[in-house]
Amino acid sequence: MIALVDCNSFYASCEQVFRPDLWNKPVVVLSNNDGCIIAANKQAKALTHIPLYEPVFKIKKVLGENGITCFSSNYTLYGDMSQRVINILRTFSPLVEVYSIDESFLDLSGVCHTTSYTDYGQEIKNTVFKHTGLPVGVGIAPTKVLAKLANRIAKKKTSETDQVYVIDSEEKRIEALKSTAIKDVWGIGRKHAKRLNAVGVVTAYHFTQLPLHWVRKQMTVVGERLWNELQGDPCIDFMTEPKPKKNIGTAKSFGKRLENISLIEEACSYYIAEVAEVLRSQKSCATYVQVFLHTNYHSKTDKQYSNSITSTLAIPTNNTFILITEAKKALHAIYKPGFRYKKVGVCLSGIVPEQYVQGNLFESQNRYNDARLVDTIDRLNSKFGKSKVMSGSIGTRIKEWELIKEERSARYTTQWHEILTIKT
Amino acid sequence: MDLIAFNKLKRAKAKHTPEVSKQTGFPSPATHYLEHTIDLHEHLIKNTDATFFVRIDGDGLSGFNIHNNDVLIIDRSLTPKENGLVLAVEEGEFKVKRFSKRPSEPYTIWGIITYIIHAVS
Repeated sequence: MIALVDCNSFYASCEQVFRPDLWNKPVVVLSNNDGCIIAANKQAKALTHIPLYEPVFKIKKVLGENGITCFSSNYTLYGDMSQRVINILRTFSPLVEVYSIDESFLDLSGVCHTTSYTDYGQEIKNTVFKHTGLPVGVGIAPTKVLAKLANRIAKKKTSETDQVYVIDSEEKRIEALKSTAIKDVWGIGRKHAKRLNAVGVVTAYHFTQLPLHWVRKQMTVVGERLWNELQGDPCIDFMTEPKPKKNIGTAKSFGKRLENISLIEEACSYYIAEVAEVLRSQKSCATYVQVFLHTNYHSKTDKQYSNSITSTLAIPTNNTFILITEAKKALHAIYKPGFRYKKVGVCLSGIVPEQYVQGNLFESQNRYNDARLVDTIDRLNSKFGKSKVMSGSIGTRIKEWELIKEERSARYTTQWHEILTIKT
Repeated sequence: MDLIAFNKLKRAKAKHTPEVSKQTGFPSPATHYLEHTIDLHEHLIKNTDATFFVRIDGDGLSGFNIHNNDVLIIDRSLTPKENGLVLAVEEGEFKVKRFSKRPSEPYTIWGIITYIIHAVS
């Protein structure tokens, strides 16, 4: 059997753990530049008259009037809380696949000899909540896709399930399939849902009644796997090692429009430093550096311009300094003066494992090999906080271009000077 | 083609002797007695994933021997003991309390206070 454990409105819940004054109150979390809402808890979602997915500047007033608390995203906190949850889950199963920041699959085969699956699920849920303060839902079933379905049911029918639902019989499986719309099945995109609806498939149960050869023909092997999983035959493997990323990028709007290339260059260098750090943490190197730049599409008065360029590195690398040099060259190639720029972004691709980097006849390998400097920087930053030691190209004017994070909570669990403070 | 020079290529001298330690003198008598230096985290924190730190701002808790700017180590995984210190939540506010199985007012326990760190200089 497989369990899917996922945290209820994870970002909002992380904020609430440290803010008991907000327990059972509506809370939302905003995107990186406070532009829109990316997460809302149950209480906020219940206020259906508020268009939660409109840009924040349009609904700011309504949010306030309805007593909704807004937080800027605090990924440092969410990342740490997520890691705590994962560590706790590992005590319940030797095989845990971290599917996303707030979802993990647990292989339960051979771990439930003395208790029922429902009791085990309850124990997982209660332990995670007791240790971290985060509420989770648990779905248990013979396959991953069914576990997802069970988890949905656990969350939908909280009063009956108490956040834990187990599909452990043929009747329960059929019942779950019949009560789930095909569009809500894990792995069914909007396109497939539309096509399936057109042939009369409305629920997951209808889908399992389709002949397998039709599914294979229309939806390839992916559909076939899904079909089998819904029948109760596991065919999606556990991935205990995170999948190496195919590309790593970041792009954020500036706090204000920028015209001057020197500030844009500093922002671009900063983003490169961020992604290069990720690259090093997964022990890989990038072959291509893409830089893109654009003005504000939504502005009716600004002249519009956008461009993107990709440059190939002589030798794949994860060295921040080499990557910054390349990115700056690329930026200069696409930058045109006289525009008010809104955003610069970088993306590293052609990602290869560090140990398989091939040399180049015309480039000396030595400067690429000198990883000690960047390693030292990584160590210092992990000890003293993000971006404490940076490349000089990043400059010291971050405040002039950085995006606004007005409502960010403290990094309660990772910074000594930001720990939870109680006034007495 | 004119022959300019004719040299025998010398093979580099292979070194087969291992590097010998330059250290001389009496070997350290502590060699077989080395242990790791004490790491407080290891002793004060039993369950990292359930442990949080909380700073106290103000003198309202001197009755519990907790003073301004003290840091509390809170372990959420523990079960409260009678009369032990807990961080509680009452009406949406954090409070420090002595745990009692029969409290006069109901409250939620946020975590168990395991240590109070007090700076003296």
